[in-house]
Amino acid sequence: MVLRNPRREVEMPGPLTVSALLEQLDVNPESVLVIQGDTLVTRDARLSDTDVVEIRPVTSGGAA
Amino acid sequence: MKCRVCRGPAVLDIRRHNAAFCRDHFLKHCGEHVRRAIKDHDMIRAGERVVVAVSGGKDSLALWDLLLGLGYAPDGLYLGLGIGEYSDASGHAARAFAHDRGLKLHEVDLAADFGYDIPGAAAATHRAPCGACGLSKRHLFNAVAVEHGYDVVATGHNLDDEAAVLLGNVLRWETAYLGRQHPVLPATPGFARKVKPLYRLGERETAAYCLLQGIDYQVEECPMAEGNRHLGYKEVLNALEDRSPGAKAAFVFGFVDSVHDHFTDDAGAEREGLQACEVCGSPTTSDVCAFCRLRERVGSRADSPR
Repeated sequence: MVLRNPRREVEMPGPLTVSALLEQLDVNPESVLVIQGDTLVTRDARLSDTDVVEIRPVTSGGAA
Repeated sequence: MKCRVCRGPAVLDIRRHNAAFCRDHFLKHCGEHVRRAIKDHDMIRAGERVVVAVSGGKDSLALWDLLLGLGYAPDGLYLGLGIGEYSDASGHAARAFAHDRGLKLHEVDLAADFGYDIPGAAAATHRAPCGACGLSKRHLFNAVAVEHGYDVVATGHNLDDEAAVLLGNVLRWETAYLGRQHPVLPATPGFARKVKPLYRLGERETAAYCLLQGIDYQVEECPMAEGNRHLGYKEVLNALEDRSPGAKAAFVFGFVDSVHDHFTDDAGAEREGLQACEVCGSPTTSDVCAFCRLRERVGSRADSPR
């Protein structure tokens, strides 16, 4: 599976769900969007070895 | 997962609502929450002029788009902070959004117009850059709004921002800050009304909104915010939310609905004795306002021999 932004390749035995991927990467689902190819997907979506997946952080730091 | 409304394929799940939505019904969900926020708190009245404080990030661009979708006609205001490539990309996103839709965007540049930037201010004050950034934004958003006759300044503060600020204020019992933390700060002499129409939407929702609407926003986080206290509070709150969905909304909405009014006197006391700043004329409790003191401090450092 290829993760982008930043681009890196990770060994993930697929298929697996978005929830399982985030758990394995120790990412809080509340802090990201998951984009499979060009499509925003929910936590039950199944990802395969060949997918390109973006885990996009949504947390911003300003509070002016 | 299926859309709660139409049972079609969902694109986003929102655990605090125990629901998922397809694209169209998610966009409608966002519009409904903004419409409700505006209505519940009388944020924008008929005929009023609104300016959106635009950073080029997901929240402010989503807000501008949502207000347009609800029939308002706000202009934008972009503040150039001088934070290297981050500011370059942010300004580009804000300008592109305005240009593509034929919208008016005011621009203020800290370096060109006021002789300092945020990294320089942080170095001069020996404090975290976020302090100088927040001070500059609060002052200039209001000053530009007053100068151009806007009734309302709308900012992109979302539910996560409000929860993090509330946690910080409660941890230190900053009662005056608690009295000012509200979706609406009423207009007073020298101050436009300030509103936060996104306070009912989380930042996953504002990011998803931009993605689904095809809005190009500055995805990268501000490099100067890395490791700041506000991000630490968000991390803690997201850990709570993961274990107890709805915790952030209950925290913020409970405060707004039931607790905030207990602190309004503390906030009001701070606004007593306001006078015009000797330098810029803005309302202040001191002889010289905090913004002008910051400019003076950064300027004297730049002028001093090395």
